[in-house]
Amino acid sequence: MSDREERLRSLLDKVRAKRPDEPAPHAADALERIRTASGTMSATSQPSIPAPAAPPQPTPVPSAYPTRAPSSPLPDPPAAAIIDSPTRYSSQPPTVERPLSVEPRARSNEPPASAPAASPSATRPEAIRPQSVAPSGQPVIYATDQPEFVRPKTFGDLLELTLSLRPR
Amino acid sequence: MHDGRFDPSGFYEFNLTQGMVRTRTGERVVVLSEDVLSSLVAAAARDGDLTPLRRLGELLGEHVLSGLDRPASLLSPEAVLGHVSAVTSLFGWGRLGFERWGAGLVIALRDKPELDEDELGAAALLGGMFSEISQRQVSCVPAGDSKFIMVDFEVAETVWGWFKDGADLPAIVGMLETKRAS
Repeated sequence: MSDREERLRSLLDKVRAKRPDEPAPHAADALERIRTASGTMSATSQPSIPAPAAPPQPTPVPSAYPTRAPSSPLPDPPAAAIIDSPTRYSSQPPTVERPLSVEPRARSNEPPASAPAASPSATRPEAIRPQSVAPSGQPVIYATDQPEFVRPKTFGDLLELTLSLRPR
Repeated sequence: MHDGRFDPSGFYEFNLTQGMVRTRTGERVVVLSEDVLSSLVAAAARDGDLTPLRRLGELLGEHVLSGLDRPASLLSPEAVLGHVSAVTSLFGWGRLGFERWGAGLVIALRDKPELDEDELGAAALLGGMFSEISQRQVSCVPAGDSKFIMVDFEVAETVWGWFKDGADLPAIVGMLETKRAS
């Protein structure tokens, strides 16, 4: 055994001989202080003794499946249509995704066969109006008058409507 | 083939040698900061003379008309909106949209420069632009929330009075009715 090994071994023996005595006085004093201060210390409490080092945890393996729920909540259901909201125009013709037959509309006077092919702008869904739906929720199909607000097909029609407004 | 959409390519010509910026119609334009323009417009609003803003709107309207292959009155509202909003954006005046409130056409101008508190500068600009586009004298009256209701020149003062008295847009629309010219 070399000199260096002997020095290390003697140092280690000193540390081992000293360790059991050192924490005990400090822990006993602390425990006594807590007891006298609160008087309600749990019987399960023990003096703090340094715990042995925990064995190394295994490295987590990435899973192919998410282990957590999505962080973002599900979207809220769509709000009910607001009656007094305006009709907004888009600079691009809208894409028709539903057949016209599901749209509640007033009956047209023109026969369907003679009607020209509907342009994308003409097939845009109209805003919900109180005039177009009866209190029972059924479409008004017996009306012979034109709806009060006809959707203008041209900018000129739109202009005529707004410029014809006068104070009541 | 012309598909009716506004083509913004080459709209501005920057001549660094002569220090000039021109639009593609040859008109010379000057780039101004929002602060400077705001001061000018506020002073004009105080003096009650917004003619320069209305004239600027007419120039924007001329740009819109130059991009149309037919009169605006024969085009769909969507087609006109496409050209108007493109020109408005190119001149930095914000995002323009159309809304219909009953029979009234309402112009929404979002993200516009903050000029004067009553938004009379933007109203004058829109009035001039749509007068040029429609070839009729129209007014765009501020109705709050960056919206302007388009009405005939003759009733603009009345509608403006309603708004100044506290009426919001639905209330203003409710106080108007359609009257066809006989």
